[in-house]
Amino acid sequence: MTTRAQFIQRVRGEMAKTPGLFAARSADRPQEPGALAETIRRQLAERWPAALARFSEEFERVGGVLYRVADMEEACATISRIARERSAQRVVTWATSVLGAELEPRLRAGGLEVAGETAGLPGEAERSRFRHASAQADIGVTGADLAVAETGSLVVLSGPGKARSASLLPPYHVAVFGKGALVESLEQVGVIFEALHRDPGTMSGASISFITGPSRTADIELTLTRGVHGPREVHAIFVESL
Amino acid sequence: MSVGELKVPFVERAHRALNDRFLQEALNTATTRFMTLRHEAFQAFPQGEALRERAREIKEATLQKLDFYLEQLADNVERLGGHVHWAATGDEARGIILRLAQERGVKLVVKSKSMATEEIELNEALEHAGITPVETDLGEYIIQLAREKPSHIIAPAIHKTKGQVAELFSRELKRPLAADPEVLTKVARGELREKFLQADMGITGANFAVADTGTVVLITNEGNGRLVTTLPRIHVALMGMEKVIPSMTDLMVFLSILPRSATGQKISSYVTLVRGPRRPGEMDGPEEFHLIVMDNGRSSQLAGTLREALYCLRCGACLNVCPVYRQIGGHAYGYTYSGPIGILLTAMLHGNHAVRDLAHASSLCGACQEACPVKIDIPRMLIELREHLDRERIAPLAERLIFKSFARVLTTPALYRVLGRLGRLLQRPFVKDGRLGALPVFLRGWTDHRDLPPVAERSFRERWRELER
Ligand code: SF4
Repeated sequence: MTTRAQFIQRVRGEMAKTPGLFAARSADRPQEPGALAETIRRQLAERWPAALARFSEEFERVGGVLYRVADMEEACATISRIARERSAQRVVTWATSVLGAELEPRLRAGGLEVAGETAGLPGEAERSRFRHASAQADIGVTGADLAVAETGSLVVLSGPGKARSASLLPPYHVAVFGKGALVESLEQVGVIFEALHRDPGTMSGASISFITGPSRTADIELTLTRGVHGPREVHAIFVESL
Repeated sequence: MSVGELKVPFVERAHRALNDRFLQEALNTATTRFMTLRHEAFQAFPQGEALRERAREIKEATLQKLDFYLEQLADNVERLGGHVHWAATGDEARGIILRLAQERGVKLVVKSKSMATEEIELNEALEHAGITPVETDLGEYIIQLAREKPSHIIAPAIHKTKGQVAELFSRELKRPLAADPEVLTKVARGELREKFLQADMGITGANFAVADTGTVVLITNEGNGRLVTTLPRIHVALMGMEKVIPSMTDLMVFLSILPRSATGQKISSYVTLVRGPRRPGEMDGPEEFHLIVMDNGRSSQLAGTLREALYCLRCGACLNVCPVYRQIGGHAYGYTYSGPIGILLTAMLHGNHAVRDLAHASSLCGACQEACPVKIDIPRMLIELREHLDRERIAPLAERLIFKSFARVLTTPALYRVLGRLGRLLQRPFVKDGRLGALPVFLRGWTDHRDLPPVAERSFRERWRELER
């Protein structure tokens, strides 16, 4: 069995035989990513309407559907309407501690069956209950940590109360977000990620997903087909009050 | 092509491909579509050109400190609760995965598309050990059912008609299915969803691995990369060691150019960043995470002719633009990696012997380098590879003699003139409609599947002299 030391030794030995093809540097990383991320956020506090317009354009280009509502009450009404139009019944959601306490009761009042994630330390039984609920659900409701205007991507960080399955297993995914999530470019995402990773306390989950439109494939005769593994529809609700 | 047919010589495989009408059409449509999409994507992205230069430099800079970045990656993965394994060879990588699976009583494995696992023929090894591997990328699933090999990095089942896929699924599921991509995709979703939920282990490759954060990055359009890393209790990622990059800032550069080069998308539908096993309080995600760092011939090229091939992102752009690939398709190459870059990677993984015929399966037209997001100088390396083969006397004797004489002709102006005139005379019976259509006997191979331009009635040199007068 090759050990780390042996493996690295071999690499080093071969590296020593060449200076490389040309002088090269990796990307310039921000010295103070935290401060830079703060600056970006401050600028976006002003520029967000333009970012939202671009996001809307790109998100729709990749097959997403965007709604703009005033508050969570309206957001819940929108989710209920999306469900009704698709004869969808069962909903899984991120925890109320993340999405807001009013979500679950409102959706229930709209006649939907809701399986909400519980925050805290889920045990084996709780995990398998949620997994089952997600696999059966028609709609998964989540938040979005970032909405990237340049690409129309929703970025979700996993963590307590923020299950990965909710945006993955149900055929319809609905993400709720506010202006604080908007960024303009992948480059800005890079800065925010540098900042997040610099501060170990900020990342409480093990996975980050960029979701850009519905799941798609063109593997059979190049015919574009949606929903092969992930959701076949992705909806994003921009909530002004968030 | 089934797995056993790899023994058939290259020339014969190429011939078969050239005579397969559907394959020809499918290849042409797919590669043309990918080329167009890529072209349009970069046209609409003015900063793309600079980012390609940047990406190329990042790859080179990383190789220059590869030992450092690999150790940093390993430290960070371990800090996050993951396990790191080191595989000097493909054999060793297979062994590690088998042992992990067996020790944990794994029966069913779901995989997302990974060229690295193709490279080590992992599925065969798993099956042999009584473990069922299920490919979940739709294209890979199709060819797994058909017991074939991928014919394109991005679209592995591009050589199959929807009729063939319907037949395959109908046989497998024992019910008749319509030859409709929509229907077939839905059926596959149902079948594979069950597997995702039952599987004990998910196996992936890694498009990138970020050293500074210990993150494995997976890019898919179907979302299977997310499912494979979310549902099973164990996640194993196999990466070629050259996939490491320094930082998240570097990652954003690649995220901008890789999808555009592969499918013309601004970004793929799913980009998944995985940092170790799930954390306390997380509802889902694997409880165990293993990263296998694989060498398998790569380090021998760090100071070798093929160093630059280690920049490769596996985007498939060079396949789509290659006049040879477009004619013969992936299977004719006979190894995991096809197309122009595939020849170099095959030499890297299997040694120069493996490419003694393949090394000539390129017209050196330069289209590959032009299309490559990291501007890999594939033509230069192919020429150097041919020189190596020549020196090692691996190339076919006739070819060596011809190319040697050709070199002599090119460097002796008088000889070049005389032969040019001779060519003009000799070609007369074979020129039709201004094209050289069918050459006789041993020259047939040059014109069987294409026409050549005839030798011009007046050479460039002759015209030049006239102009000068
Ligand atoms: S050599 Fe370049 S173009 Fe070809 S697959 Fe690799 S990265 Fe893409």
